[in-house]
Amino acid sequence: MTFQLTAPPFLRSADSRKRQNKRPQDTKPDADEESSDIVTRPQTLAEKIIARAAGRDAVAPGEYVNVTPDYTAFQELFWPMHQKNMAIVGLDKVADPDRLVMVIDHTTSAAMGSEHTRTHRTLRDFAAKQGIKNFFPAGNGLRHQMLVEHGFARPGSLIFSDEGNIASIGALGALNFTMSWEVFASFYDTSNWIVVPKSVRMNLVGELPFAVTTRDLVQTIIRDYAAGGQLLQSCVEFAGPAISKMSLDARQTLLSCLFHAGADTAIMAADDVAMAYASERANGRPVLALQSDPDAEFAFEATYDLSKIEPTVTRPPTLAGGTPISTVAGQRVDQASIGSCANGRLDDLRQAAHVLRGKRIAPHVTMYITPASNTIYAEAAREGLLEVFARAGATVLGPGCTTCWGYQGVLNDGEVSISTQQFNYTGRNGSDKSDVYLSSPYVVAASAVAGEITDPRPLLKQKEAA
Amino acid sequence: MSTLLRGRVWKFGDDLSGDDGIIEFSVVREQFGKLDEVVLKAMCFRKVRPEFPASVKPGDIVVGGRNFAHHNHVEVSAAIKYSGIAAVVCESCETGFLRKALNFGLPVVVCPGVSRIVKDGETIEVDPVSGRVEASGGTLAAQPFSERMVAVWKAGGLVPLLKKTTEARRLSA
Repeated sequence: MTFQLTAPPFLRSADSRKRQNKRPQDTKPDADEESSDIVTRPQTLAEKIIARAAGRDAVAPGEYVNVTPDYTAFQELFWPMHQKNMAIVGLDKVADPDRLVMVIDHTTSAAMGSEHTRTHRTLRDFAAKQGIKNFFPAGNGLRHQMLVEHGFARPGSLIFSDEGNIASIGALGALNFTMSWEVFASFYDTSNWIVVPKSVRMNLVGELPFAVTTRDLVQTIIRDYAAGGQLLQSCVEFAGPAISKMSLDARQTLLSCLFHAGADTAIMAADDVAMAYASERANGRPVLALQSDPDAEFAFEATYDLSKIEPTVTRPPTLAGGTPISTVAGQRVDQASIGSCANGRLDDLRQAAHVLRGKRIAPHVTMYITPASNTIYAEAAREGLLEVFARAGATVLGPGCTTCWGYQGVLNDGEVSISTQQFNYTGRNGSDKSDVYLSSPYVVAASAVAGEITDPRPLLKQKEAA
Repeated sequence: MSTLLRGRVWKFGDDLSGDDGIIEFSVVREQFGKLDEVVLKAMCFRKVRPEFPASVKPGDIVVGGRNFAHHNHVEVSAAIKYSGIAAVVCESCETGFLRKALNFGLPVVVCPGVSRIVKDGETIEVDPVSGRVEASGGTLAAQPFSERMVAVWKAGGLVPLLKKTTEARRLSA
């Protein structure tokens, strides 16, 4: 499939009064294609991206369409399964090595000796043999970061990946589709079927209050929607005046956690900030500033006033248990961790450093901080953040998923962790008798200092006053 | 292989968890990915319908409510398939469940309104290729499977399909 550098017909400004609300399958096969007014259904942002990847003028929610993703992203934990299936299916050459992005991010310290180190070796050899240039060995960082930092995910692109949190790339107007182990199919075919999701619009207005972050916002959204099933098979499109006030890091936090609310994927239209970031890294690849048509259909719309959000903690063992911090303040913690695809970026590290500067973590607490990529790690070093962490008594880990899945930061019976990680189900970080609470970097850092779950605002206000 | 399926209905309500409802994932967690057919068949739906494992017959069809099989590891799809269920028709479900099931050779047809047209124990007709769903209470039109989805289903799953197409490419090369 060739990349289009000129806008396809449905993206050119057309008189929307002439557009008819027809589903693509209602159009007669012998319809006059010469007309400059394409008879098509107004499209949402997600529908436009899918249509482009499907070679179609328009798509409708619920349709099963074949798309050719710009890239398919892999992580190494599925590798033993991929190897087993490759032995059954047989593989000479992968279908298109340039469309594959393979990242080792879960088992980063395997070099210290574990069975994972064998996987790293075979992956390296496989990538070399198959001519897969986009191979990122352990230490580079999370695949979420590789996708944006290296320009694989760009405005208008469609990406296949294994997991729903990779919707973080939606901050650049790129659309993620979760395939789980089925990313394997991309070794054999450059296209695969997807369901066109319904588009749901969430308007963000107002401004986040002092010490409140998009992690608190998304926990609130998850609490509102996770149990009800309203977001099944949907793409949540965030819009509204609040977005331009959010950094790209903050937007990625919001999008990376949204799948816990039940949505298939999430996105926002790329604004100037996102376009600038993506254009710097595009290397000649297309960057498409797409937006939903003004008369596009959304399954429903909701509005969040950010000024009403407060510091939120999600109690174990489910993700729907987001609660105001006051309800859990005072809970003793043994471990604190900052990182993961939700909160491992520079802004998150800056927030943690802001709290930890000049402080020490409580004597009974172990704290881990993991930058999500080597680029972020280097920038954090340059800004002096790593020194702040070290002097506070925290341990900085090499870029990877680390504490999020209990690969590092294992908890014993009865131990409690407060973390920015993605999941808190029973046994996630080790013992089935351990608990993981989820929150923002501010809350995690303040809790590490106090030795118990703590509202960060008094400490931060003190720092402002000083 | 005819794509019209007809079978006895096992009907379930809304919000039935996959990992903690259809199966007990915590029991099989240690063997994640190994898929023990005997163990999974024995636990399938027993939490909500204790008679299911002993009474289910090959060709029976599951009708689920809203948010069917939420939170599901691949063991959930495997258990349903191993039990001999020919298809799942549900009000709504996660796309992830649809994918995992189809990759296992189990068609899942999302069909809003299905709960209203059929009762437990009755017969339902489902054709994933045309999308037609019919029972005593009426006929509904679900989204037809795409060509590729039909191919995955007919091959018995994703890996069998890829094996077939890879061999075909080799022979024609």
